[in-house]
Amino acid sequence: MNGGISMEKTQHSKSASSDTGSTFRVVDYNTTFPGVFGLHFDLPGQKVNKLDDKVMGELDAQIQKLATRSDIKALVIFSDKEGIFIAGADIQMIQGVHDKETGTKLAASGQTVIAKLEKLKFPVIAAVNGACMGGGTELALCCKMIVTSDSPSTKIALPEVNLGILPGFGGTVRLPERIGLQAAMDYILSGKTMDGQKAVKVGLADACVPAQDFKNRVLKIAADVAAGKFRSQKRAVTGTAKLQKTLLEMNPIGRAVLFSQAKKMILSRTRGKYPAPLKILELLNKQAGASRDKKLKLESIAFGELAVTDVSKRLIELFFATEGIKKQSGVPGFKLDPKDKVTRMGLLGAGVMGGGIAQLMAHRNIPVRMKDISYAGLSAGMAASSKIFAGLVKKRKLTKREADIRLGLISPTLDYSGFGAVDLVIEAVLEDMNVKKKVIKDVEPLLAKNTIFATNTSSLSVTEMATACERPENFVGMHFFNPVHKMPLVEVIRGDKTSDRAAAMIFELSKKLGKTPIVVKDGPGFLVNRLLMPYLNEASYLMAEGAPIVELDEHVLDFGMPMGPATLLDEIGIDVAVKVAKVLHQQLGARALPCDLNDKLVAAKLYGKKNGTGFYLYDSKGVRGELNPKIYSTLGVTPRSPSRAVKEEWIPRMIYLMINEAALCLHEKIAATPEDVDIGMIMGTGFPPFRGGVLRYADTVGLPAVVNKLQELSKKVGPRFTPVQPLVELAKAGKSFYSK
Amino acid sequence: MSSTEFFNQGPEVWIVDGLRTPFAKSGTALKDMKAVTLGVHTLRDLLYKMSLDPKTVDEVVIGNTGNPEDAANISRIIALESGIPQNVPAYTVHRNCASALESVTQGVIKIKSGLADIVVVGGTESMSNMPLIYSKPMTNLFGQLMTAKTPAAKLNALTKFRPGFLKPIIAIQEGLTDAVCGLNMGQTAELLAKENGITRDDQDRFAVRSHEKAVAATESGRFKKEISPIPLPPKYDKFLEEDVGPRKGQSLEALGKLKPYFDRANGTVTVGNACPITDGACMLILMRADKAKALGYRPLGKVRSFAWAGLEPERMGLGPAYSSPKALDAAGLQMKDMGLVELNEAFAAQVIAVQKMSASKKFAQEKLGRSEAVGEIRDEILNVNGGAIALGHPVGTTGARLVLTLAKEMQIRDVQFGLATLCIGGGQGGSLIVEKV
Repeated sequence: MNGGISMEKTQHSKSASSDTGSTFRVVDYNTTFPGVFGLHFDLPGQKVNKLDDKVMGELDAQIQKLATRSDIKALVIFSDKEGIFIAGADIQMIQGVHDKETGTKLAASGQTVIAKLEKLKFPVIAAVNGACMGGGTELALCCKMIVTSDSPSTKIALPEVNLGILPGFGGTVRLPERIGLQAAMDYILSGKTMDGQKAVKVGLADACVPAQDFKNRVLKIAADVAAGKFRSQKRAVTGTAKLQKTLLEMNPIGRAVLFSQAKKMILSRTRGKYPAPLKILELLNKQAGASRDKKLKLESIAFGELAVTDVSKRLIELFFATEGIKKQSGVPGFKLDPKDKVTRMGLLGAGVMGGGIAQLMAHRNIPVRMKDISYAGLSAGMAASSKIFAGLVKKRKLTKREADIRLGLISPTLDYSGFGAVDLVIEAVLEDMNVKKKVIKDVEPLLAKNTIFATNTSSLSVTEMATACERPENFVGMHFFNPVHKMPLVEVIRGDKTSDRAAAMIFELSKKLGKTPIVVKDGPGFLVNRLLMPYLNEASYLMAEGAPIVELDEHVLDFGMPMGPATLLDEIGIDVAVKVAKVLHQQLGARALPCDLNDKLVAAKLYGKKNGTGFYLYDSKGVRGELNPKIYSTLGVTPRSPSRAVKEEWIPRMIYLMINEAALCLHEKIAATPEDVDIGMIMGTGFPPFRGGVLRYADTVGLPAVVNKLQELSKKVGPRFTPVQPLVELAKAGKSFYSK
Repeated sequence: MSSTEFFNQGPEVWIVDGLRTPFAKSGTALKDMKAVTLGVHTLRDLLYKMSLDPKTVDEVVIGNTGNPEDAANISRIIALESGIPQNVPAYTVHRNCASALESVTQGVIKIKSGLADIVVVGGTESMSNMPLIYSKPMTNLFGQLMTAKTPAAKLNALTKFRPGFLKPIIAIQEGLTDAVCGLNMGQTAELLAKENGITRDDQDRFAVRSHEKAVAATESGRFKKEISPIPLPPKYDKFLEEDVGPRKGQSLEALGKLKPYFDRANGTVTVGNACPITDGACMLILMRADKAKALGYRPLGKVRSFAWAGLEPERMGLGPAYSSPKALDAAGLQMKDMGLVELNEAFAAQVIAVQKMSASKKFAQEKLGRSEAVGEIRDEILNVNGGAIALGHPVGTTGARLVLTLAKEMQIRDVQFGLATLCIGGGQGGSLIVEKV
């Protein structure tokens, strides 16, 4: 650690009590900082510190040894990992819990160990310089004081809720004690992070010190604490804040208001699909007025209950899958030369999509030369970028000045000047094969021979487009989803001739842009649109059969999708959806025959959100209103309230078709792994994360059941439901998508 | 070393290329853009247009007069935000109206003397964003309030407040008033008009011609060669593609209706025959000739010589009549050798006065100590695309704009020599001679 290295060495040689070679090491700082000792946490062979059984055992032993020491006047817990304090409890360990009792025991034993820090005779100080998550935060909460650094890597959170569980090492007890119930509830229910300064502001930490001189500053504070002359930076709660706190938290009526509001908010956000936030609320409510021990016991029981839920298992699997992507290069066995990174880019086509891409790049400090054929075109792109930046300023994610500098990185042009010096060109011109090929032919000769050329197509063949290239190995698909700044997925599409380098560069860039990339093989609709197509098409068939539109949308929301199919069609643009469906039909054949329902809307020029009317009505700001009162007459459909049996088939009809198509995509190696399919659908379409994705969902239902239902539907409704061979074989072999 | 010797030795300095924003009268199209933003947009576009690797730049020198309060050494800020690497140094120059010409001459000196191969020069000015400043008594009061420790002391300080304290100092107005002779720039032009018998009609006719020529240069697409259209905040949903100032159908009648602005009773200088205060930026790339050749560039022209001269502050408009002969001497040339002249139109009266003095033997003998007149500056070669009366005069930018417009026009007309010159508030003149390569 900066500044502390030389000092520690001298200390080391003088130190008699230094104990090296294991996870924890006690260092004597007594000479320079009277009475101060450090407990250094450095998990051998790992990049991060985490709390598993073995570590907890070692910590326990260390604490017991320390308890006997009378020379310690203050103890500082340091992490020796760069950018990390403690990453939390070992999630693998939690994933292995399959019965409530084991879960409860796991939490209780962790609680017991770290609570011993509280009982030490001398003050313990957690020195948080880096990520401090979950169990790490709970350990810090057992310390008398927390000192943070002002480094941007210092992030403190209790993110357990995002994994479908709750803080089980006393976090639900000690965080409210330290920062108040209302604030604690906010952090525990959202899992959001705070930085070092915010931690002081909310009252979690006692001081925030410069990262550059972190160790010295913390040790100095520890010495002051030992000498009894430290003054906390924490501000006492006074005035209206105190009154509000008293009213809401200290009396039962206020608390009831607080809880009912929180519950209402959770239900409106999650439709009750996620048990963790509700369980957390229930727990906090039960803990009111109970003894410390009782509170901790309630927490460990609630933890056990959540740890065994399917939702938690699915969310943890998803967590591992997305973490896995962060470590991948996008091409198995291929390591990208660190020099092959995108530092400058050229962008062709400055529409709303182009503007969104430009903004994303500029936000990450990549200068963009943005080319269009007219200033009207360039204005659209500049306006789209500036609007997103203005939003970030409004939300205080950036200062006005930071946003202005980033917007200044986008340089608009009508010619191709500057394209000779870029590492990457992304084209976002009209979605038309001939137009795109012409642009490629115009631009490629101007580029350096190493420059990667990416197309942001959503439906055209990357392989075919690459036939216009002199260097097809540098050509690759980079499919952003709309709106670019919000949608987390990027499909990296490999054409037949796309090189490993090109694919890996786009994969790496996507990660740098804060997106989650998946590599897919070129094919109709790639992965996400190909799977979305049968789902939306089936929704249209259902509506054509008289399924009431609002009821269908609501039903799909209950399943956990972020929006219903009619709303989604309105969002995409019904004309676009019809066009894509036709292209996919041509390429995929009879099973993708589009329902003609949407053609009627296109004929009536009802395109959805973009022109104000589709299935629903939209106001000038694009906010969805009522169902379009003329929708049924336009469609020529009479809505019929579905029988229970009919309604029960809605989800299988839409979702099982997705599963069927996904099985084929895996078989055709469009996607390499089931994880890629599931991440793609969750990140690209909002498929419910708690279901783990399309294939996890299929595995949960059971493949034989899926196949049987499809066979039944193929007889009853139509041959498009015929289960595909790879799916039938998997089911027959008694396997699941995820079984190895 | 004489200045002739200086310009004959060392490497040739090429003006490789340049760009400017459209110019807009202050308070109009560019009012929401800071001087930094104007400069960054232009320089970034220029670097792309030239496909110039920013790593090859040795120094950035940019002119600016109304230093924005949040952009000390604005040159450095523009350099960094334009993608010039951090290890490349940058400094800002201020020679009033000639600040950008000063940046060009700085670049020439650096390259000639072997200190640099590639220099970014130019100027930027947002006169829309020049601040209002609190008066001295108000500033003192703020100071007392800040240092007052007790509420009583604060209250005591507050009792000293008088409403008059709130009258702001308008930075731009102060900047356009000569600190030594106390005359406003417009008043110096009035003086020249009166002393040299330049009538209101002479000035208005000159102004009309400036508009006509600028309108023609805009409509023919001539200015497209030097303008980098700029997207406009706050929504960035449209671009400013052309200069705002040139007025089609500007007439003597319309100009004749304007009241003299600086001397209501006896004056002839109006806002119509003077340049408006304006926003805009202009950037140029200067290179050592052999370096430019090695990189495969063709230049607009080379810098043959330049010169600066001082004169009475109250006659600052005559500056070009003093500096041009010096520059011509340094180049071993005469006024008649010039195929084009860009002479900044601060005021029509001032330009006409310079024309008169250049042609005057008496002026040459009395003021320059020369036996013969410097030489006539013919109307046909003077400001052929109009000038600041139509386009505007973003003070810290104009010098570079003159050089850019001149060099581009020399290329178009295949002219051997051209002169860019301007008068400078405070009583100076600056002149630079460009030669075809």
